[in-house]
Amino acid sequence: MLEITELQRDYITEVLNISMGSAAAVLSEMVNEEVSLSVPEVDFLQRNAAANKFDQTNAARMSGVTQSMRGALTGDALLMFPEEKTLSIVRILLGDTVPVESLTEMEQEAMCEIGNIILNAVVSSVADLLKKEIMSSLPRFIKGTGSEIFSVETCDNNDLVMFLKVDFGLESQSINGYVTLMLNVDSLHDFISQLDEQISAV
Amino acid sequence: MSRSVRSDVININSDEAEIIASPSDHLFGKVLDLSENGLFLVDSDRKIILWNEWMVEASSLNRGDVIGSTFVEVFPGLKGRRIESVINAALDTRTASLLSRSLNKVIFPLYFSEARDEARRIEQSVTVKPIQSDGHDYCLIQIIDVTPMVQREDVLRVLAKEAEEALQVAEEASRFKSEFTSTVSHELRTPLTSIRGSLGLIASGVMGELKPEIGRLIAIACNNTERLLFLINDILDISKIESGKMDFVMGPVDLKAVLLQSIEVNQAYGEQYEVKYHLNDVIDGTTVYADTDRLMQVLNNLLSNAAKFSPKGTEVDISVIQKDGVIRVEIKDYGNGIPVKFQSRIFEKFSQADGSDTRKIGGTGLGLSISKAIVEKMGGSIGFDTEEGIGATFYIDVSLYADV
Repeated sequence: MLEITELQRDYITEVLNISMGSAAAVLSEMVNEEVSLSVPEVDFLQRNAAANKFDQTNAARMSGVTQSMRGALTGDALLMFPEEKTLSIVRILLGDTVPVESLTEMEQEAMCEIGNIILNAVVSSVADLLKKEIMSSLPRFIKGTGSEIFSVETCDNNDLVMFLKVDFGLESQSINGYVTLMLNVDSLHDFISQLDEQISAV
Repeated sequence: MSRSVRSDVININSDEAEIIASPSDHLFGKVLDLSENGLFLVDSDRKIILWNEWMVEASSLNRGDVIGSTFVEVFPGLKGRRIESVINAALDTRTASLLSRSLNKVIFPLYFSEARDEARRIEQSVTVKPIQSDGHDYCLIQIIDVTPMVQREDVLRVLAKEAEEALQVAEEASRFKSEFTSTVSHELRTPLTSIRGSLGLIASGVMGELKPEIGRLIAIACNNTERLLFLINDILDISKIESGKMDFVMGPVDLKAVLLQSIEVNQAYGEQYEVKYHLNDVIDGTTVYADTDRLMQVLNNLLSNAAKFSPKGTEVDISVIQKDGVIRVEIKDYGNGIPVKFQSRIFEKFSQADGSDTRKIGGTGLGLSISKAIVEKMGGSIGFDTEEGIGATFYIDVSLYADV
């Protein structure tokens, strides 16, 4: 795990929460219902530790949305929920749905859009922090276990993952999900030094 | 009719301007026009610079009507909508976006017919991607027709709803059947109990000496009343099991004590068939996890069955085997065994090996089905081994108490 100072952590959380607020406003308007989004926790973890976090959520499988990033960060951005929570989110937001046990094609597409809005918000605040450009691809629906999602078997476990806990507030219930961004070491150093520069400028 | 496109106005090189101006004269233009998706390109001034044939047909707007105009001029109704802001995001921050059909019911006013009939509106999934070329930013908007998918899911929705309703009706009918069975059985049992009581008093002679012929008739009436009561009790048990109303008080049960008691209860019944029960060694203090009364009911059923199907003068062997926290009680008879064709149905309701046996042997054909349900509710299992002509061994497996 990478140690960051309390001040750095507060600053990142603050920046992310501002962009989460605007993502929530977009979602609320789309579904005509109060949606809230917040990031209560930020961590930097190694790939396998991040996979373990998913595997410890009591859900055998997670599902959600991934987008790949290019530019100042290269890798994947993910928004994941325990599989049955993904189902609840989509069905609460869409209202009228098909009562089957997994998401239909149209529902997966809707989940992709929800993920797209949230991930674009996160990626753009990280790009703002870095003062660099990050381009991201279109969202794709994925599911699997923590190890499958983070390709623990095939990838270098020394890679770091920015691991955010996300509270998705809907209809007086709060659903916990996770946003993760894969970071390469160079971009991580940039990230921390930009962070310090901005903190000292405040 | 295409308006001529000046590349210096719209920030593209002259080759590309050529293609855009008359796509049908160029290979790449033809490719764009043959696409099954709607495609259009917006430049950094929000002006539309490419509009493929799919867009021409679905929007009823020709290239000349749109190229060079801003996105909002072409679609005034979309000003301030999400599609406008994601196009801005693609051009300003190079962000790619997806607009799903489910969360954006109406995106572009596009139709399958020129009449722009609402029923013929194209259901859309829209992607918005940033493109950079020669130092300029563009935004590519792709429209995928998802109408067939929407229709498919509408059908699925109707079918799922119908299936749910059918299930409710079936559950309701099943509940009604259980309640009906249980009510009727109760109502039958009450008068029958008093008939049996009265007949018993008459048969015992306390009401006065009976003529032998009358005594014989009363005995027949007594036996048949008894049989009816057994049947009703079994039906009540089955309906309780089926409606989930049979309660179990699970706890430690001294197996040897229950076996001895069950043998005692069945002794007289065995004597009718001239069959003796023999209990092989059981370790004292063997304790299983069960409901005492229900376990007793199962053992009584297996012991009485064994006697019923044993030849005169034979024994029924009862053994207890312990293995890996599971206790098996085996009840072995030396009768004719279970016919192969009946083996698969033996635990079904109202089943007996041979319909014609029923009268001779007696019983309702519900006992094993009830026993199976009880043992399974207690977390155990029931089964049998048999060889025709040699005999049958029924067994139940229950958990040892310590391992629960």
